[in-house]
Amino acid sequence: MKGAELVLQVLQQHGVDTIFGYPGGAIMPIYDAIYASPVKHYLCRHEQGGAFSAIGYARSSGKVGVCLATSGPGATNLITSLADAMLDSVPLVAITGQVSQAVMGTDAFQEIDVLGLSISVTKHSFMVRSVDELAATLHQAFAIARSGRPGPVLVDIPKDVQLAEVAVVDVAQQQPENRLTTSLAQSAKARQLIANAKKPMAYIGGGVHMASAMAQLQDFLHQCPMPSVTTLKGMGSVAKDNPYYLGMLGMHGTQAANIAVQQCDLLICLGARFDDRVTGNLKKFAPHAKVIHVDIDPAEINKVRFAQVSFLGDMQKILPAIASTTDCSDWLAHCSSLKQQHGWRYDHPGERIYAPLMLKQLSERMPNNSVVCCDVGQHQMWVAQHMRFSHPRNHLSSGGLGTMGFGLPAAIGAKLARPHDTVIAVSGDGSFMMNVQELATIKRFRLPVKIVIVDNQRLGMVKQWQQLFFNERYSETDLSDNPDFVALAAAFAIPGHSVSRKDEVESALEAMFTWPGPYLLHVRIDEKDNVWPLVPPGAANEDMLMESNQ
Amino acid sequence: MNHTLTITANNEASVVERLLQVTRYRGYQLAGLQLTPLAEMAGLLITLTVTSDKPIHLLTSQLHKLYDVRELQLASADIAALRA
Ligand SMILES: Cc1ncc(C[n+]2csc(CCOP(=O)(O)OP(=O)(O)O)c2C)c(N)n1
Repeated sequence: MKGAELVLQVLQQHGVDTIFGYPGGAIMPIYDAIYASPVKHYLCRHEQGGAFSAIGYARSSGKVGVCLATSGPGATNLITSLADAMLDSVPLVAITGQVSQAVMGTDAFQEIDVLGLSISVTKHSFMVRSVDELAATLHQAFAIARSGRPGPVLVDIPKDVQLAEVAVVDVAQQQPENRLTTSLAQSAKARQLIANAKKPMAYIGGGVHMASAMAQLQDFLHQCPMPSVTTLKGMGSVAKDNPYYLGMLGMHGTQAANIAVQQCDLLICLGARFDDRVTGNLKKFAPHAKVIHVDIDPAEINKVRFAQVSFLGDMQKILPAIASTTDCSDWLAHCSSLKQQHGWRYDHPGERIYAPLMLKQLSERMPNNSVVCCDVGQHQMWVAQHMRFSHPRNHLSSGGLGTMGFGLPAAIGAKLARPHDTVIAVSGDGSFMMNVQELATIKRFRLPVKIVIVDNQRLGMVKQWQQLFFNERYSETDLSDNPDFVALAAAFAIPGHSVSRKDEVESALEAMFTWPGPYLLHVRIDEKDNVWPLVPPGAANEDMLMESNQ
Repeated sequence: MNHTLTITANNEASVVERLLQVTRYRGYQLAGLQLTPLAEMAGLLITLTVTSDKPIHLLTSQLHKLYDVRELQLASADIAALRA
């Protein structure tokens, strides 16, 4: 067997049946092996799109995503997606073809130092020097991608290695190295802090669901009643009927979440990392709080905020070990009233569509367990604020890197991972154009992805900052010459419809969901609508700007 | 402040690059670097001296995560300072 065939064999050993990619010279032997392989390859129309689809596949399913690209431009096109996976801790294996070793280092055609490029955007990367190392290296790549804090791993395979004959050995699958040990030494101290806290608060990130500790989290919040807030990646972690869940915190978080976190005296950070979009001015963040920090990545402990007590390891084991009864009924009542007092308002005047209300309607109308894939900007924040999710795997948003162009290809990956669930891409008119070529992938595979474009004819989020912080100097954020999105979709045999009035929304959503195939709903909104609240740069989280004080 | 780290790593082609990338990105300045290949287990002994006002644990915790780093030790003066 050839190295190229071995690649496909190892993928199958890891249960991989779906891969995303784009061919080219240096990876042709692997594409030749794909031709006869049961592993299903989905041809994307740009390597960035293919890798985002692999990320969408991984994030919606919990499995490892796999993407392929050729050397040179194919590999460089992957870089943004690798960085996205790195910052959002997504298990991804990227396989790139490389020129033959005989010409490596000579600036050969389509030769670029992919290993060098990968170093700062992957958890680890390999260059395979011999076909005898190929299987073991690929096994290692899978093990690293999913172990500990997951992340992207790149394997660069020179063409001669792909073409080399390798003896068919029954490659024993290497067990993923388990560096994970869970230390519970500090649990008595944590229980004491929780029991003594007057104002405890759970701050929940993406790490909880990635540790498959959703059930342990609900038990924890039940045993130790306390209010909770989530990050963008943690949304959907707390049961919908939990009365003390206050929503997302941070720059565009809810007022209740931000005010309560600022007041708390104990912050229990679960699988989150005190990102600057969450903390606002770090020095003023939760100023009265002691911190308990639970994470799997030792480098996150005490990185930006000192923790009085910290735990490393398996969230499933740690949560029950630190559970302790709380005595904070006044605080719970206070947080409930904050939630009441600062609820969202949807009474928007006029006939034009108000995106928060439209997204709330979308959230209420979409089938249970739908996956919503976002792009980046105002619409992304409105989705986080106004839609509800039953699991973080149902809300795919580029959090750490904030990559425009994420939504559409991620939705393709999610639809392939979960064919029986409805998948919706919510995009902005700017972001949509960043990977618009993936409409061709939807067309080819007849993927019934629902696309909602929230069109304000602006790069809205940037425009909002220009309005607030750059004296209304709207430099390069006008998109009023957008294409006709419905006609654009039609070019890919995707039907669509355009709405601009509130009273059209309900029937338009109905039409979109009842249509059996892919569908594009173009929603025209007022460019003046902005995202509130907003914590301005450098401010403490309680100093939120609201629409009313503009 | 100067810190000296002694690192045992796999002698992979990219390992020094990775150490230097993390050091630069996390905001530490390189003040010295010494490499000695180790005969046993294809290892590499690296002595890295860095300067920064930042606490050194912010660098060591990131270097520890590098897949090819097997062992990492701070010079004893640093450890004493950390404990103080
Ligand atoms: C690849 C990339 N380029 C630039 C940005 C900076 N950026 C953040 S939001 C935004 C505007 C997004 O516009 P649109 O997709 O129309 O969404 P809206 O904010 O209008 O809802 C820009 C340019 C980014 N996040 N990603």
